[in-house]
Amino acid sequence: MMKPTIGLPTGYRDVVFDEARSRRTIERQFADVFDKRGFGEISPSGVEYLDVYTRGRQSIKEVTFKFLDRDDNLLALRADFTPAIARVVSSGVLGEEVPYRIWYCGNVFRKADVHRGRFHEFRQIGAELLGANSIERDVEILQVALECMAAAGIKDVHLHLNHAGIFRGIINALPLDPEALRQVKTEIDRKDMRRVAARLQDFGVAPDIQRQVNAICRCVGDRDDLCATREAIDNQEAAAAMDALLELASLLSPFTENIVFDLTEIDEMEYYTGVMFAFFHPKVSTELGKGGRYDALLQEFGRSMPAVGFSFSMDNLVVLS
Amino acid sequence: MTRKLLIALPKGRLLDKSIDLMGKAGITVAPGDGSRLLFIEDQERLFRFVMLKPVDIPVYVESGVIDAGICGSDILRELESDVNEPLDLQIGRCALVVAGPAEKEISYRRNIHVATKYPRTAARFFKGKNAHVHIVKLEGSVEIAPLLGLADVIVDLVETGRTLKENGMKVLEEISPVSAKLIVNRTAMKIKAKQVNNLISQFDRVVYANP
Repeated sequence: MMKPTIGLPTGYRDVVFDEARSRRTIERQFADVFDKRGFGEISPSGVEYLDVYTRGRQSIKEVTFKFLDRDDNLLALRADFTPAIARVVSSGVLGEEVPYRIWYCGNVFRKADVHRGRFHEFRQIGAELLGANSIERDVEILQVALECMAAAGIKDVHLHLNHAGIFRGIINALPLDPEALRQVKTEIDRKDMRRVAARLQDFGVAPDIQRQVNAICRCVGDRDDLCATREAIDNQEAAAAMDALLELASLLSPFTENIVFDLTEIDEMEYYTGVMFAFFHPKVSTELGKGGRYDALLQEFGRSMPAVGFSFSMDNLVVLS
Repeated sequence: MTRKLLIALPKGRLLDKSIDLMGKAGITVAPGDGSRLLFIEDQERLFRFVMLKPVDIPVYVESGVIDAGICGSDILRELESDVNEPLDLQIGRCALVVAGPAEKEISYRRNIHVATKYPRTAARFFKGKNAHVHIVKLEGSVEIAPLLGLADVIVDLVETGRTLKENGMKVLEEISPVSAKLIVNRTAMKIKAKQVNNLISQFDRVVYANP
């Protein structure tokens, strides 16, 4: 019989030699872009008060690894970078001069379903631009993300664009109580348009509004598709958000040919406030990275300021590099 | 050139119904008797199919190695699968219910034991009722559990109710209706939108055709 070795807990893995080298190379390629673009690195503490993570997103609570310190404070292992950076920014150590351009790279820990082959620990690399809210800054952060992937030699990336204002505009106009709204959002998230329509009808939503929700949920395509959807929408906030997307796309068009207007995702947690985006690649069956504008998060940390950022999953980048 | 969509079909009670439905939608698949082929194609060679145990289908589709599949909503809720469910195919209709001995009065308040193949769904349901119950996970013939005293009630699928009746049980409460869904990987729904949407409309035309 073989002598038993000291094992590794389920849901964790070691990264050795080639893969470690690939990670290092990608980090260097990304870091060069960040340096050139005036982004400074922050390596936030790996442990926070649990409260830091739940301020912006309650839903993260159940997947964080929690423990108590000697004074019985409830702490958590790093489950996300953005809240940690929000805490650093609000603490004032970065000085008064905004905007802050920040990048980070490190491991995050989230309880995952290990019986579906997932890991509790994974590596992220990303950037945040805080303290400025303009379409130029949205363009800047997206350009940086695109340049990072180009620097890592990753081609054929598709940028999917969406805007929180589109759904918010339509949803806020619906005469629904919170429970009804939750049910409608669940159906929209499953993408069964017949059931969405039936639910809206159950809740007494006018056929015209049903038609608009339907048009938005089906919009994945090019500029013409977005414009056609825009025509079908009779809601000021939603229409303005679509116009903002069109403008953003035209400013980005010199840097990428692969822009998809994808209004099908809803941000159930209402974390994002403006543009939302995700990067896809034909060879990878999940998103490579994602991000968006989250102007409401920082006020949860006592220093209100607009912000936009993105993060990439290192594992997906390694597969493609 | 785009790659063919890879679609998972459920072995077992839904297979014939699925193949029949696809036939009506213009997708002809002949799995062949005793065929050991892992992958098959339709006559027009527009899709590739793989036959899997139903409970594994959402796992494959969620991961993205398979683009789409046909799967019962009972399994999707139990696994809490993160996939798109763009169409209810209206086949394999039945209900997930709480059932118990026909002769006995059962109160959820008395910390009862619940035998089921659906532990998560059952736990969610009884939690919603503020009932503290003990779940016993079984793999089959769940209706025997109350007869032998392993549990007070069961949570299981009921199609006609005949099996229950034969075993001296009755439906106490319906948890949810169940039917087969077309499920699609979240990323496939975006990056293969054209192919996927064509597939959805093909099914939609048949399932929701006006008689």
